This record gives sequence, C-alpha cells and structure tokens, in this order.
Amino acid sequence: MNLVPLALYTLALIAYVWHFAQRQPTSGHAATTLLVAGVLAHTFVIGMQTMQAGQVPLTTAASAISATVWVLLLAYLYTEMTTDERAMGAFILPLAVALQAIPAFKPGVDDKAAVLQGPLFSVHVLSLLFAYASFALACVIGITYVLLFKEIKAKHLGFFYARLPSLQVLDSMNQRAIVIGWVFLTIGLFVGWIYAAQIPGNDPRVQAMSLRDPKILVAVICWAVYSFEAFAARRIGWGGRRSAYLSALGFAIVLLNFVPISYFVTTSHNF
Amino acid sequence: MHLVLVGISHRTAPVELRERIDFQARGLDNALRALAARGTVREAVVLSTCNRAELYGVCDEIDQGRSAFVEFITDFHNLDRQSLQPHVYQVADLDVARHLFRVAAGLDSLVVGEPQILGQVKEAHAAAGTTHAAGPFLNRLFHSSFAVGKRVRTETGLGSGAVSVSFAAVSLARKIFGDLKGRNVLVVGAGEMGKLTALHMKSQGVHQVTIVSRTMAHAARTAEAIGGASAAPWEELDTLLGNADIVITATGAASPILTKAHIETVMRPRRNRPLFLIDIAMPRDVESAAGEIEQVFLYNIDDLQATVRENLARRASEVARAESIVGEEVEKFGMWLRSRGAIPTVVALRQRFDAVRRSEVDRLAATLPADVREKVEDVTRLVVEKLLLTPTEQLKALSDTETVAAYSEALGRLFGLTSPQAQSQESTGERTDSEDETASQRRSDRGDRRVEPFVRPQKR
Repeated sequence: MNLVPLALYTLALIAYVWHFAQRQPTSGHAATTLLVAGVLAHTFVIGMQTMQAGQVPLTTAASAISATVWVLLLAYLYTEMTTDERAMGAFILPLAVALQAIPAFKPGVDDKAAVLQGPLFSVHVLSLLFAYASFALACVIGITYVLLFKEIKAKHLGFFYARLPSLQVLDSMNQRAIVIGWVFLTIGLFVGWIYAAQIPGNDPRVQAMSLRDPKILVAVICWAVYSFEAFAARRIGWGGRRSAYLSALGFAIVLLNFVPISYFVTTSHNF
Repeated sequence: MHLVLVGISHRTAPVELRERIDFQARGLDNALRALAARGTVREAVVLSTCNRAELYGVCDEIDQGRSAFVEFITDFHNLDRQSLQPHVYQVADLDVARHLFRVAAGLDSLVVGEPQILGQVKEAHAAAGTTHAAGPFLNRLFHSSFAVGKRVRTETGLGSGAVSVSFAAVSLARKIFGDLKGRNVLVVGAGEMGKLTALHMKSQGVHQVTIVSRTMAHAARTAEAIGGASAAPWEELDTLLGNADIVITATGAASPILTKAHIETVMRPRRNRPLFLIDIAMPRDVESAAGEIEQVFLYNIDDLQATVRENLARRASEVARAESIVGEEVEKFGMWLRSRGAIPTVVALRQRFDAVRRSEVDRLAATLPADVREKVEDVTRLVVEKLLLTPTEQLKALSDTETVAAYSEALGRLFGLTSPQAQSQESTGERTDSEDETASQRRSDRGDRRVEPFVRPQKR
C-alpha cells in the first residue's frame, strides 16, 4: 500500500527538480499538486493501517519511518505554502523518497504488545518523529546554505544564486527547524524515560531500556549535538556555515539511529 | 480595420530627437485629446518613455493612418517632417502586435530584459483608457502584451541578474542579508563613486549610512549630499567596522587600508556576523586575502563587473526563448484578429432579424392594448436573441479568414444581408447600437472620410 505514495512522491521529486532547473511556474504547480496528492494518499494509507491495527502504526521501524516521511512532507508543504518558496522541494523530496522506499518495499508487521501501547508511548514516539522530521528539514536547509555560501564566496553567481533565498533566510530557517526539533526531541526523550520507569519490567525489551542500548545512547548523543547547535553554537561564533554542517552531522546521526540501529543493533527498540 | 504603429526609439533616433518627441513631458492625456480632435484614427494609445515614442492606432486604411500619425507628431512637437522621416518606423496589423509584444517583453529595450518597460506600457494603456482613446482592438492588443511581458519574465531568465555595477552590489547584499532594512552601511572615503553606491543602498531602505573619511569636512559634505546619512572621524573606523553589515570602500589610497589581519580583528567580536565588503576603489582598498575569512564576502569592482557581464550574456542566451513566446502570442492575437472579420456579418444578421421583428410588431401594434404590446415586444425580442445566440457564437469562434469569408457570403445570400447598412457597419467594427448607426449615418451625410474616434458606447 505504501507504493502509491512512493510513486507519487517520485513523480513530485521529478517535477520539483525540473522546476528547480527550469523555473517554469507550470512545473512548480505540478510538483506541488503531485506532492499534495502523495501526502493525501499517504494519509489514507496510515489511516487504513490505524483502522486495521486498532492503533497508530508506529511499532515497526518501517511504519515509524513512513510516519516521519509523512510529518516531514506536511512540514515542508506548510513552509512552501507560507513562504511561496519551492526551491527546497528539490532537496527534501530525494530524502523523502529514499526513506519512503523502506516501508514500501520492506514493511514490518505491527507489534501489538501491551508494552507498545498507551498515551505515553504515543507521545514518546510522535514527539520523536516530529523532532526527526524537523532535523531532516534543518539538514536540507543547511545543505542549500552551504551551496549558496560557496557560490557567493567563490564569486561564481550561478545556478543556486538564482534559485535559493538569501543566506540570512536560510540560516534563520535552519535555526528555527533546529529549535523546534530540539523541543520535540526533549519531550520525546523525557516522556520515554518516564514511560520506561513506570511499565512492568517482565518484557525483555523493557529490561534493555538503558543508556547501554545503542538506540537510546545515540538518541541522547543527538540531543547533546542539537542542544549545542540550538543554544551554544552561535554564542561562540559558530553561525552560518558551521551551523549548517552541524545540522547535517546531527541528521546523519538521526539516520544512523533510524535505519541500521533500528533494524540490526538495538534490543529495546527493535520496532 | 487595421492596426498601425508609428514611432521612434533608441534604435532609430538620436537622443536629441527623442528628447524633443517626449509626449510624457506634455502629458499623455493632452496628446490623446489632441489626437482625438483630429478625427483621423478610431483608437489610439501613446507610449512615451525616455527611449521611445510610439503611437498605436486603429484606422480604416493603413497609409492614411500612418501619415496621420506622422503629421500629428510633427505638429504636436513643432518638428520639420523632413528631419523626422528618416528616424520613424511604421508597421501595420500583426507586425504591430509583434512589435508591442517585443517591447513589453523587454526585447526591444536598450538593456535587454529591463523590467520598467512593462509598467510604462501599462501606464500608456491606462491613460488611453481614461481618455476613452482605446477601444476593443487596442484593449485586446495591450492586454495581450501585458500577458506576454509576464510570461517572458516568469518563463525565461531574460530579466534576471543585475546589469549595472551598483545594482549588482545591491542584489548581492540582498542575497547575503535578505531584507536590507535594519542593516548598517559604512562608506569609507568621501568620493563620488562611494556616494553613488551609498545612495543606491539608501534607496533600498537600509537603517543607517555612515561616511568615514580622513578629512572630516569631506565626510560631512558627502553625508549631507546623500541625505539622512551621518559622518564620522577616521579614528572611529574600527568601531564602525564592528557595527556595519555592508562596507563600501572608495578611497584614493595607494595601498590597501584594510588588511586581512585588520578584518580578522574586527570579525572576532562580531561572532561571525556576515560582513559584505564592496571595494570599488582603484587601486584596491581591501587586501584580497581578507575574502578568505569565514563570513566575509569581498567583492571588488572587477568582480562586480564580471557579474554584470555574466548576467548580460545569460540574458542574451534567453532571447530566443523569449522570441518564441512572442511568436506564440502573436499567433494567438492573429487568430483573434481574423475572427473579428465575422463581426460585420453578425451585426448585419442581428439587424436583419430585428428589422423583421419590429415590422411585424408594428403591424400588430394598432390592434393591441398597451400592456399586451409591451409583452409582445419582450417575447419577440427574446425569441430573436435566442435564435441568434448559437450562430453568433459560432461566427465569432471562426479563426481563419477564408472560412469567415465563406460563412459571411453564405449568410449574406441566405438572408439578403448585402445591404448598404451592413457595408457601413463593416467600417465601424462591432458597434451595434442605434447610437453608432446614427453616427455612421452622419458621417456619410457629410460625405467626407473623417472618422469619429474615441466615442464609444458606455455599455455593449
């Protein structure tokens, strides 16, 4: 079922890249339309899965990735509609398509264990997904910042110069995405910690919930990296390009946690 | 009915002549009224900018329209016809559309792709609108030209990139800082170049412009000339550099006044807040190695000129795409123009039907009470309207001249439309109401070829 949104996202990706290169309004409108169609199809898929399982499908790595992509694209559509700026789409969509390919081709079976239910569990997972989507946006914005920065610095005002918003706008968008992501990451980790402390400990996964578990450890490292970026980096003069690199590094850690660690390493969060 | 254009531009006329033929200076309204008073063309629009003066019109005969326009220009500006003639271009019908579309797209401008021309074309049309000088033909032509201008700007890169050094500096500043409001500009040196660039920045709404010079009196004089700027002594240079976002250096110093080490010291307390250095001095005022510092963007006059050259080359490469858009739109306009050929037949057909209706109603009138007669009037008018609706739409949708002629011929024969009335309507375009009928009647009564321009029905 996840194949339909994937197909629409792929078409939207092609349209966004085409629009970025050619800057024709028709291709831009087509890109947005395809993306909206993809997000609607995706909403339908998640809705159907929720009805089927009786809960929001968040308990496999694949379904969590699918939900992150959904949140990421919703956040992107919001920025596109409020700023009327489509240039970012060409950078966000490749990431969304790559991530969405995982649930589309390797869907997991949702685990209905009691330990993975309840309001605290939902808040924990949803907060983290929002955080990861924000970090994905920050990373993409950071990459575009570096591309534009290099063009201006090298005095070759070309492709990106004509298409991207100003460095200042990119920098503040990046900063905003980082702060929003950090807030959700903090909430997610804190709620997760409370949740782990109050559930009965007979499930092996609950027993493994400590800093020794790689997924939890890497999430905490992520939190440290983003805390530094959100609050300390600019005070010591790490604005602009360094901040952009830091967003890319932070998101690389998020991806590491999301894909290889979720699938192969963790014992407490093997969903 | 023909479209004609007579004009001069930077391509055909020297600046002295262009200065003399400036309709804008004497008011477009006055020019349009003076043209209307002559009664030589049916519709008119006057486009007047510093690089061109053009008269667009609609007339019955091309040659008559052209000479009327040339005569008007010479009379209105007290010029000798002989001195004007070699510089004037005259085009007709679809070539008028092609010319105007190219003008609106910026393809005919001195700096290809410059954006002001579209606004000037709109102003010209608006002026003609308020004086009722533009009618159905020129309204359609000008609205199409606005669409062409917009398409070329959005679909091609013809208008992109700065093509002057000072605008290149401003657009770079915008790309670094976004909005320039709230930014501080520091001008080092009190010369003319620095002043000009500062004025350009000031027009972008920057927060503060400060002039610093080795001679305080010079700085104060320049600050006063800029207006709203302040002057500061040379000793405060470092403090000012710390606060500035954009620095323009334009001193006559023989060696760099800002070295890399100097800028590094300035940048430290700024915590990497970006600094845009525009070095327009020759020899240079800023050591080129200063551009290596993170968050320092250094552009000298050569860099800015290179940017301008690149932009001009890029614009040139977009010309073909813009021309093809113009071609497409001329084609569309041509189709519309050809479909107008059916209008006289439509008018004649309606008049024929209405005449039959009226004669039958009049015949009955004597035998009917007043209220019933009114109802009969309404019903018969409605029946005629409904019967003619589809044929009218079909005729107006025809786009090639041959089909239009064949349909007109057939309808003419079937309904006996080849009356002198239809002929006279042919020359008045689509005016259908009785007011127009009497106008054309009056003209034929006078027996001259004088047309009555700019008298349009308020509602069609």
